[in-house]
Amino acid sequence: MISLSLRRNISAALAETWLRLLSVSRYPGELFIELIVPTVLASMPILLGQAAAGPDAAVNFAAKTGTTNYVAYLLIGSNVFTLVTRAFWDIAYWLRFEQEIGTLEAVCLTPTSRLTLASGVAIYSAIRGLLTTSLAYVLGCLVFWVNPFQGDVLLALAFIGVGLTPLYGLAFLFGALILKVKETNALIGLMQWLVSFLMGIFFPVAVLPPLVRAVALAFPPTWMVNGVRSALLGVGFFFETWYLDLAMLGVFLLFVPLFTREVFRRVEYGLRRNQGVGEF
Amino acid sequence: MLGQVKVENLSKTYLTRQRQGLFKSQKKSVEALKNISLEIYPGEIFGLLGPNGAGKTTLIKCLTTLLLPSGGAAWINGYRLTEQDNLIRASVGCMLMGERGLYWKLTGRENLLFFGALYHLERAESRRRTDEIIERLNLAPLADRTVETYSSGQKMKLAFAKALINDAPLLILDEPTNTLDLPSARELRAVVRELNQAGKTIIYTTHIMAEAETLCERVAIIDRGEVLALGTVAELKASLGREEVIHIEGVISAETSQVVQTLPGVSQAVRATADGRTQLTVVGQNQRLLLPRLIETLSAHQAVIQKIVSEEVTLEDVFIARTGRTLADDTRVE
Repeated sequence: MISLSLRRNISAALAETWLRLLSVSRYPGELFIELIVPTVLASMPILLGQAAAGPDAAVNFAAKTGTTNYVAYLLIGSNVFTLVTRAFWDIAYWLRFEQEIGTLEAVCLTPTSRLTLASGVAIYSAIRGLLTTSLAYVLGCLVFWVNPFQGDVLLALAFIGVGLTPLYGLAFLFGALILKVKETNALIGLMQWLVSFLMGIFFPVAVLPPLVRAVALAFPPTWMVNGVRSALLGVGFFFETWYLDLAMLGVFLLFVPLFTREVFRRVEYGLRRNQGVGEF
Repeated sequence: MLGQVKVENLSKTYLTRQRQGLFKSQKKSVEALKNISLEIYPGEIFGLLGPNGAGKTTLIKCLTTLLLPSGGAAWINGYRLTEQDNLIRASVGCMLMGERGLYWKLTGRENLLFFGALYHLERAESRRRTDEIIERLNLAPLADRTVETYSSGQKMKLAFAKALINDAPLLILDEPTNTLDLPSARELRAVVRELNQAGKTIIYTTHIMAEAETLCERVAIIDRGEVLALGTVAELKASLGREEVIHIEGVISAETSQVVQTLPGVSQAVRATADGRTQLTVVGQNQRLLLPRLIETLSAHQAVIQKIVSEEVTLEDVFIARTGRTLADDTRVE
């Protein structure tokens, strides 16, 4: 008797999560690198700032960003950026990687949908990303001797939690694009530059030109990083209150996955109409 | 009906790109399947035979929902293709891409458990099936090593094991003995026979005609996207209208050769003597039935058999007769 229940779909998604965790546990070097990259990334502007800062540096920085704590500001930016790019690598690159090694066809032969599997990958990415990002943030704060738990930590976690679903939706959308275009390196390279720029990992989006700022504000990770900074450092929410900014992320949470689901369905349909998901 | 496959006028056309130097390319339409119609009955081993690029894998990919057909219809296990795809996937076990369908950083056991979950098996059932399959295919020494440490043949064996995990009534095996050594290939074919005897329908694609002849009850010969011939192995060979010749050397009396002449299926039995040795040349149909009968008759008449040489119609002969090419020719069009 063939049974394709919701419970079994959840089980299949969790099996995908477990597969990813098992695989990454056999690449311990990757996890180690993730602990130190955010600190290394942030250290360059931090040290540059320290080297170039004048007597009014803190005041000038606060005038533009809302806080004098530029070390924590940059550390938060680099860590959230790592979380975001982790999502793109885990999900967008996952699809293409599986296509190239042949396992995408193998999983497409089963009754478990790609979206169910993507949910499993998203859970894995959340576990891995949150764990390594939290540890990396604490490590960076220790290196630069700032308090990692200043401000409203729970609110900061809420912004990350609510922001993850639209983030994974975007990553899956990106994955669909990669499957269609079949150019992984160029697209992921472009994505990383674009993400770091639009999110404002080292600067407030207020300094962006108006048109670019509008694009940045249509990007969920921008609200995520600003929400975390506002919660921990008091830089100021876009809508001036935390619940409105959180509600905006909630809107992204509702619409981005639906939009992504439709796009991915069409891309997969297009692939099956031609040479199939196995053709890379 | 479970284990049954019905295909009606299935066609598949796709676009490909022909590269022409720096930055230049041209789109080209490829007709991979042209109005294929066939029926596979429950409980049979059905062979798909043809050279590389004939369309065997494209047909299989359409039936397993990896590709959308451009036209026609098909029913797999009673489920209609393109309308009940999830039910088709749940009711078919596939070995399509060989070792490429495995996760190399996982062990063999972990691979099987993972795919068990994707086929929506309960965890306990998945573990039970995994243990059973590992034992049946003698994978126990490898099961807890990562797949990246396996040889090519061991990976193919695990890929075959993966096809069995959901205990489906229909198994589709695409060139499963590729890269296997002779003992492993023989072992796999024995397991395929056992599975068939247990009631499973098996679609078996191969370009090795000897495999198709020994394993399959019915065979479809495919070339350039079309079914050229379909029938039992004997029917296909008989369709050429050629008789088979068996040469027997030994000590055979004239009276014995006359008895042989009267055997069913024998059209001629000619005895010749040279250098003190006798050669009996028997011309007849269906060597597989005729040869045992000949040996029994000669033994009953105290003949001494020293050597038997036969010239038999093969499926490759059927293919050559229909297409003018051998199975070794690559007909893939890019």
